[in-house]
Amino acid sequence: MTSDARERLWDTATYLIAIVIAAFFLVPLLWLLSLSLRTRQEVYLGAARFIPKHPTIANFQQILSDPAFITYLWNGLKLSALGGIGCLLVAAPAAYAFSRFHFSSRSSLMMSILAFQMVSPLVILVPLYRYMSTLGLLDGHFGVTMVYIAVSLPMAVWLLKSSIDGIPKSLEEAAEIDGCSRFGIFWRITLPLVAPGLASAFILIMILNWSQFLVPFLLLSTDSKLPISVAIFTFAGTSNASSTQVLAAACLVAVVPAIVAFLLLQRMIVGALTAGAVKG
Amino acid sequence: MTMTGAAMAGGRGDIARTSLRRRIENHPFSWLLPVAILLGVFYLYPIIDVFRLAFTNASLRGGEEHYTADSIRALIVNPILPDILWTTFVFTAGSVIGQQLFGLGIAVLVMRGERRRLYGMTALRTLVLVAWVIPGIANGLIWQMLFSEAPFGAINSVLRMMHVQPVAWLSDPNIAMLSSIISNVWRGTAFSMIVFYAALKAIDTTLYEAASVDGANGWQRFRFITLPQMRPAILVNSILITIATLNTFDAIISLTGGGPGRATEVLSLYTFNTVFRNLDLAGGSVLSVLMLIISLLLAVGYASMMPRREPNE
Repeated sequence: MTSDARERLWDTATYLIAIVIAAFFLVPLLWLLSLSLRTRQEVYLGAARFIPKHPTIANFQQILSDPAFITYLWNGLKLSALGGIGCLLVAAPAAYAFSRFHFSSRSSLMMSILAFQMVSPLVILVPLYRYMSTLGLLDGHFGVTMVYIAVSLPMAVWLLKSSIDGIPKSLEEAAEIDGCSRFGIFWRITLPLVAPGLASAFILIMILNWSQFLVPFLLLSTDSKLPISVAIFTFAGTSNASSTQVLAAACLVAVVPAIVAFLLLQRMIVGALTAGAVKG
Repeated sequence: MTMTGAAMAGGRGDIARTSLRRRIENHPFSWLLPVAILLGVFYLYPIIDVFRLAFTNASLRGGEEHYTADSIRALIVNPILPDILWTTFVFTAGSVIGQQLFGLGIAVLVMRGERRRLYGMTALRTLVLVAWVIPGIANGLIWQMLFSEAPFGAINSVLRMMHVQPVAWLSDPNIAMLSSIISNVWRGTAFSMIVFYAALKAIDTTLYEAASVDGANGWQRFRFITLPQMRPAILVNSILITIATLNTFDAIISLTGGGPGRATEVLSLYTFNTVFRNLDLAGGSVLSVLMLIISLLLAVGYASMMPRREPNE
């Protein structure tokens, strides 16, 4: 067999394996979609009705017309966004210092920040729960946001540091000669230049915050304050076989924003790689 | 040094103020202060406190607290602990091995596809990554709908259509662990894939050309070039996903809730139950310390396997 023919045979094998992998990753989501579009009767027909004969959007109407559900979505969005903004505000100056200053403890400090990433939020929540209860921070969005910020800080510092590393120093040096203060340089020159990096970090942190379950599950108790991740868990606990299609719809609504945000992020990363933040 | 126009025009006080501001601005630690405060309050202090609480009889019910080693002693003689640790080990090992093998396989496949300019490789990569952003709770619920033995359970209803005996995916203690691992691999593989994909792209292509000249076949190129070149990436990835899996909590609580019985109750879930179901703060702190020690040992263990710079490399 010639090597060309062998390569072509391998191409076919590559496609076949790719299809199997794609199926493994796609089927769970398609099944969720399929269940969410069914009537209660069709849910009982299982895989025989993978494509529902009488598709309905009633399940989505039911959950989206429920004011409580909209509140859960809003809470999830609010907590994720506040956590993301807060995290960037705290992480950006540190990232700038790690990128632009030269000091002896730099790499050891960066490693110790990364080490915090290894600590499970559960471990810190065990004592925090009691402290926040003493401080009156339980059952409020402020306390949850602060923990969100702390949890995503190590990753944000590392991400932003490498973004700032990627922009040339020449503009900052020019501004320094013009008499701009260090903070002025950071605020007016560095941050705008690193905007694509900030945006990708923000979206990534928002996606992680959106998935965050443990922190709000433990720190919040009032139903109207819960974010969607906790709400679907509680809903699953109270639902039974006859409301599976509604649970599927709720799950899908909880999952879609994260997927959409990710697809956005992916394009942004590709864009940043191909266009480059600064040229010339 | 340059001087600002304002400082030159102003009096002595202004100069002093400006230079103080300069000194603060030029010291890296003032830039690190916000991060230090937040990590100190929300990580360092709680971690220290977890160690302290482990030596007390603290309970979330309140009551008087005193220092004692009883909680630690209670954990050592706890007959459940070996089971929990074994469950944690099986779940973690299964997930880590599964995610890495699968992630490496997909990365190699996508690389090959891109080299041969095959269609759909970016779509495949994106699809794998999409599973990664599914919230852990939703991951558990989705897989419950796939594994369920009720009529709406996808896998069993397909098996029934093919006249195969349905499988007790979630109610048989032995199979429930396998099901948990499968669902975790589904969600976690993307991370390994993207790490390996980046590592594969970084390998110098001249190495492969030299190997081809020497007559190495595909497997030999993979075994003697790709794998050794990727060793650092594989080790770093192992640290990250092992610890992520150890900390996995939401995907298990929503898939099996730790059951049937204690079949899938991993250490993080057991710690959670101890503190927030049994309100045993001291006992939970001992378990938290155990989690920290295990993570640390694993990180150190993997790091010691990192390749040192060898002269022939």
